[in-house]
Amino acid sequence: MVTVAPPLRTGTDVLGTSRLGAARLVLSRARGGPWLVFWIVIVAILVLPILLFLLVAVSPRVLGQGDAWFTLGAFRQVLTGSLARGAVDSLGVGVTAGVLATGLGAAVAWAVVRTDVVGRRWWAGSMFALLLAPSYLVALGWERLLEPAGILDLLGVPDAAPRALLYGPVGVVVVLTMKGVPFAYLALSGALRGLGEEFEVAARVHGGGRAAAARIVAALVAPACWSAFAIVFAESVSDFGVAATLANDAHFPVATFTLYQAIDSFPVQFPQAAAVGWVLMAMAGLALVAQTRALRGRSYRVLGGRSRPARRHHLAPPAQVVVVGVLAALVTVGLGVPTVGAVAASLVDGLGSLVGDHRLTLANYGRVLQSPALRSPLLYSAELAAITATVTAVLGVVAARMLSTRGGRVSGKVLDLLLLTAVALPGIVFAAGYIFTYNLPVVNHLGIHLYGTTGLLVLGYLATALPSTSRVLLGNVSQVQESLREAGRVHGSGMLASWLRTVLPLLARPILAAWVLTFAGTLLELPVSQLLYPPGHAPVSVGITKALANYDFGGGTAMEVVAILVALAVVALVWGLFRLLAPVGWHRIGGGAS
Amino acid sequence: MSVPSRLAFCTASAAALIAVLSGCSASATAAAASDGATTAPSRAASAGSGPALVVYSAQGYDDPVTKAFTAATGIPVKLVDDSTGPLLTKVAAEKNNPQWGLLWVDGDTAFAALDKQGQLLPYTPATTLNAAGVALTPSDHSYVPVSTTVMAALVYNGAKTSTVPTSYQDLLSSTYAGQVGMNDPAQSGPTYPFIAGLMNQLGGQTDGVAAGEDYLKKLKSNGLHVFPTNGDTLHALETGQITYALIQSSAAAGEIAKVPATATFAPKVAYLPKATLLPGVIGIDKGAPPAVQDEAKKFVDFVLSPAGQAAMQAGDPHGDSLYWPVVPGVTALSDLPAMPAYQKIDPYFWGPLENQVNTFFDSTIK
Repeated sequence: MVTVAPPLRTGTDVLGTSRLGAARLVLSRARGGPWLVFWIVIVAILVLPILLFLLVAVSPRVLGQGDAWFTLGAFRQVLTGSLARGAVDSLGVGVTAGVLATGLGAAVAWAVVRTDVVGRRWWAGSMFALLLAPSYLVALGWERLLEPAGILDLLGVPDAAPRALLYGPVGVVVVLTMKGVPFAYLALSGALRGLGEEFEVAARVHGGGRAAAARIVAALVAPACWSAFAIVFAESVSDFGVAATLANDAHFPVATFTLYQAIDSFPVQFPQAAAVGWVLMAMAGLALVAQTRALRGRSYRVLGGRSRPARRHHLAPPAQVVVVGVLAALVTVGLGVPTVGAVAASLVDGLGSLVGDHRLTLANYGRVLQSPALRSPLLYSAELAAITATVTAVLGVVAARMLSTRGGRVSGKVLDLLLLTAVALPGIVFAAGYIFTYNLPVVNHLGIHLYGTTGLLVLGYLATALPSTSRVLLGNVSQVQESLREAGRVHGSGMLASWLRTVLPLLARPILAAWVLTFAGTLLELPVSQLLYPPGHAPVSVGITKALANYDFGGGTAMEVVAILVALAVVALVWGLFRLLAPVGWHRIGGGAS
Repeated sequence: MSVPSRLAFCTASAAALIAVLSGCSASATAAAASDGATTAPSRAASAGSGPALVVYSAQGYDDPVTKAFTAATGIPVKLVDDSTGPLLTKVAAEKNNPQWGLLWVDGDTAFAALDKQGQLLPYTPATTLNAAGVALTPSDHSYVPVSTTVMAALVYNGAKTSTVPTSYQDLLSSTYAGQVGMNDPAQSGPTYPFIAGLMNQLGGQTDGVAAGEDYLKKLKSNGLHVFPTNGDTLHALETGQITYALIQSSAAAGEIAKVPATATFAPKVAYLPKATLLPGVIGIDKGAPPAVQDEAKKFVDFVLSPAGQAAMQAGDPHGDSLYWPVVPGVTALSDLPAMPAYQKIDPYFWGPLENQVNTFFDSTIK
């Protein structure tokens, strides 16, 4: 470290020096300030709402949800009957979808990042498109295809066998796996891109074969693999879209739906819902324990100033055909079918029924585009989604950095558990927890009147987006060597400047990917929107749900399609601006999804 | 940093965060006011001086009705329009500090429960109700019925069959094996009153639960299909998965009004004796400020007035507007048949059994 000898002090500058010392003290205090702000935000948006919601399971009287100050009665109900079956089903579905999605995501990431497979950008883009589609839309797309009088029936294709498979555990796992693949892809493609090929080359130089090199690569991307599994597992057990559509129609109970039923049907049973929340939290804890045990005591920091993009493996024509075929099948299952299903439902008159003449029509689009139920809510939702995505991207990087701190600070471990827990809890838990927290009379007496405002809705969105975004960024952030930033500091840059010059170029693409992911996820978010939207300002997802609830399937689906097209347009705009404005080096180094 | 300094910093940061968010909220409120959707210009300026009337409603016609109310009285209304389930969830979560001034949904069992919890303000409107309305009014006047539908209507595909049952017992015969569908009471608000009505009819308050469970088991043995809500059950009827659907009368009438008969699908309706009344009900929050309670009472009076009833009937003509009026002199829309033979169940008796019955249905019938 470079040190400069202090000049000799004279009597006249003692006062100035003491002022300087005071200024330094203030600066050193302010240095810890951002972390304090970060933790305040985390406590406000995650800890308090989750704690208060879970508290209802053991002490319903605290929040006026029962007579008992302390009871375990809700847990007894959760451990018996359909609630117990839902928990077991969720565990099985989560593990299966987690393993399958991680494997498939790794395969896609390898093909896109490390080979010259035809249409690489297209495959990467399709992962994003899959990420943008809400899980209930994917499930409904499959249902529109395979239901009686659905698309296949209209085409005269026998579909009894796939229909029987779809309406059951297999269908649920397939849809959740497809929804999980992009998460795994994002985590793993960044890791593979950042890894370069120095380690493989080193293994080969020292006499190792392809298998040895592959083992080394696999070991180095282990954090990303475990991160991918953990996030897909947590996303799957907390998913509500598939639970409310496919699983519900198939009478295959999963934990999130039993939780939802406890809350959404009368009489409202918050204690039982909270007990299911404890079960989901325990499942997330199991995933975290597995991840921690697998990665304990190792360092995976491989992304530094000398990282170079790896050469792509050349695929011979037969291999090209196989890889492209597999990728095409994957995208068709995950994206093509639901798209056809959703678009067809909005374009075909009376699809899925004996009603109507099944002609193509744009009537539904004409109707919803002129409807005030679409335009204003869509703009409102887009505005909130942009704010949420921006704040989430910033906080996500901070959280990922804390999580990746080697040696395992207590704060990092606490945050890790908190974030994975939050991923595993469905949005409706946050929404109810927010009402419990921010509608408390004592909170109002403190002059805080957030409930029923746009501000609380944004905080709710932030709480649902931050956990998964942080974990998606974790794979990339954990690869950045600390020495990069330290080098910047040694050469005279401040904390922020050194981060902007050395780390941001490496993380720009993953951060942008996180922004896009959050934007799209928030635009059509339903459970938090439904319970927290301010009077007179219904988000677009509430309008869509209302249309569907009023049996307007064509109109509701058309609104969904329009909203997704808007999301895709914003995504294209953001990536286009990045390609246009960001320095060339930012495109090449570090992780990313495209 | 010392502990006091950290605390001070935390407090300052939290205050800053809240200030920012409050600014965001204020802008949203301003936007809402400028939106002008439900705020009368004459009262917009004074809206900030006191709490406004917040209406939680699941009715398809609530938006035009609240606008008509504001136009007629100058009283601004903040409308939270959603399905019954999320609204009751909000009401339950807000129990310690209710934010609603007026709740307006179908079904009186939830209102009976709120009444038992002391959350409702009794109110007797000046309007005289007809026989059905009087039957639906609780003795303590803790809530007000303003319309009624019945549960269930039997919709069937007339293009596929001309055989129509005349009683619930008929549905247990082999003629209807595998042909009948109904909603899941845990997901469809109107369906528990239907099941409670069946139980009431089969065995009264003494033996009704056992008799009803026995009937439902037999119905299941005969191939009963269960779908989540009215829309899903209608969808199953349209796709030919079932031939007979037991759904809410307004949904049945709406289907018949909307869907032109074809060679393959011609929806028709029948009512099996007896149908159970399912009223549209308004309740006022007992804890709301007096000014808000006064506005809520005016809202109830408006809804029962000719202008309010006209707005209700015009607001959702193929959906919730298809109700039978409880106000004398108001005629039901022409798409509705004459009111069928009906029974009224006691929501104070059957309401507390909802969880027990739904659990039975979930574990045994679904």
